Amino acid sequence: MFSGPCLTRFIMLMPTQITDDARPRLASGVRLQIDSATGKSVLLFPEGIVELNETAQEILARCDGRPLSDIALGLAEEYEVDLATLAVDVREILADLQRRKLVEIS
Amino acid sequence: MTAPRPYALLAELSYRCPLHCPYCSNPTHARNDGELTTDEWRRVLREATELGVLQVGFSGGEPLVRRDLAELVRGAREGKLYTNLITSGVGLDEARASELREAGLDSVQLSFQSDDADLGDEIAGVRAHQRKLAAASFIRAAGISLSLNFVIHRRNIDRLPQMIGLAEALGAERVELANVQFYGWAFLNRAALLPTREQVTRAREVATAAKARLAGKIDIFYVLPDYYETRPKPCLNGWGQRYLTVNPTGDVLPCPTASSAIPDLRFENVRARSLDWIWRRSESFNRFRGTEWMPEPCRSCPQKEIDFGGCRCQAALLTGNAGNTDPVCTLSPNRARVDAVLRDVNLSVVATCDWMLRVNPSKEAAAPLDLGAALS
Repeated sequence: MFSGPCLTRFIMLMPTQITDDARPRLASGVRLQIDSATGKSVLLFPEGIVELNETAQEILARCDGRPLSDIALGLAEEYEVDLATLAVDVREILADLQRRKLVEIS
Repeated sequence: MTAPRPYALLAELSYRCPLHCPYCSNPTHARNDGELTTDEWRRVLREATELGVLQVGFSGGEPLVRRDLAELVRGAREGKLYTNLITSGVGLDEARASELREAGLDSVQLSFQSDDADLGDEIAGVRAHQRKLAAASFIRAAGISLSLNFVIHRRNIDRLPQMIGLAEALGAERVELANVQFYGWAFLNRAALLPTREQVTRAREVATAAKARLAGKIDIFYVLPDYYETRPKPCLNGWGQRYLTVNPTGDVLPCPTASSAIPDLRFENVRARSLDWIWRRSESFNRFRGTEWMPEPCRSCPQKEIDFGGCRCQAALLTGNAGNTDPVCTLSPNRARVDAVLRDVNLSVVATCDWMLRVNPSKEAAAPLDLGAALS
């Protein structure tokens, strides 16, 4: 009756579907904003608020239509981290946000 | 305990509504005079921003009955609040949709009673379905994010696949399938609204499958029917923790249904006190804040910081005492009261049962309906 675990595995496979030339943007109705009470970045959407960690905030601030490869490269240069490792993180975070309909990828 | 900062304000602009849904959670004895003025609402929105609120939901009743809605949206956006309109769609035309968009409205949650016009109109007690379809297209055309909200109950729960189909067809970003919660008019109509166990099981499968199929296209949010659960819902994420409601006449409520469900609680009004004072210091917000107020079995329960003892309004409606454990919890000494309702619904040979449609508030406060009688 309950098909949860299989579906979870299906969703976990989704990150590999985001290619280097994919262009992520904030989904319709989603706003990125600084929470003046904490100084941290938050995503606001209908009846929902997500507080972002620094990595997610840096990624989302760059989701303006540029391709994923540019986002990862820019971040890797700015923070002097390994591009391959960073690209995996970026894909995972974006896939999670896409699944929750907070990010659209064209 | 010290008050945390609130995240969301529910602004109930009016209890007036063109629809008469039998599951409405508004008070059954509301009045429609003395609604807050535009300036008073703008002050409330400013004070909410100063308290740390990030989101405002304009609701009711039907918020579109307020001609100053766009001005209130503008006021909210001045404080950078995320603005959400929760509406039946009746009263929304093309001009009004673009007026709201220009004012900065972020999102609309449009209610539907069914995917089917005849059933939808029967539930609403008025011909509204076609106007809702038109409203959806005006919202899309104005470029505002669209969510569809369905309240699920015995008469429409078997149409979940078709309702999800409607959300796809209308291009909604999000769909909320919320099983009816029993407050206000819904509490009076419980016998007609509560689905059977078989219906609930099937609906859960449909929602889970649709959620996976539409991941990344439509965000599906399914709200369980709590009478069928064994542990209570974490109502409001704790009393006076994240949410506050201001009702049409300015009473500030920890929960929108508290004013009718918990008659012994006295609520403060924004005309007499600041929102900050009410949130931090009022007796109504502090009565059930934290875990100190909890009786057993909550007090020694490892789940007490997870479900916060459940819903205070439900405890009041079902046990007569808002300070009791939510009787949905199987550890509650009052769980038998929920089981008795479930037994009646699941053993009944009668498939349908009459309901009472909501009536609009009047200038005169109607005599409060006898909730005790509805319990038996």
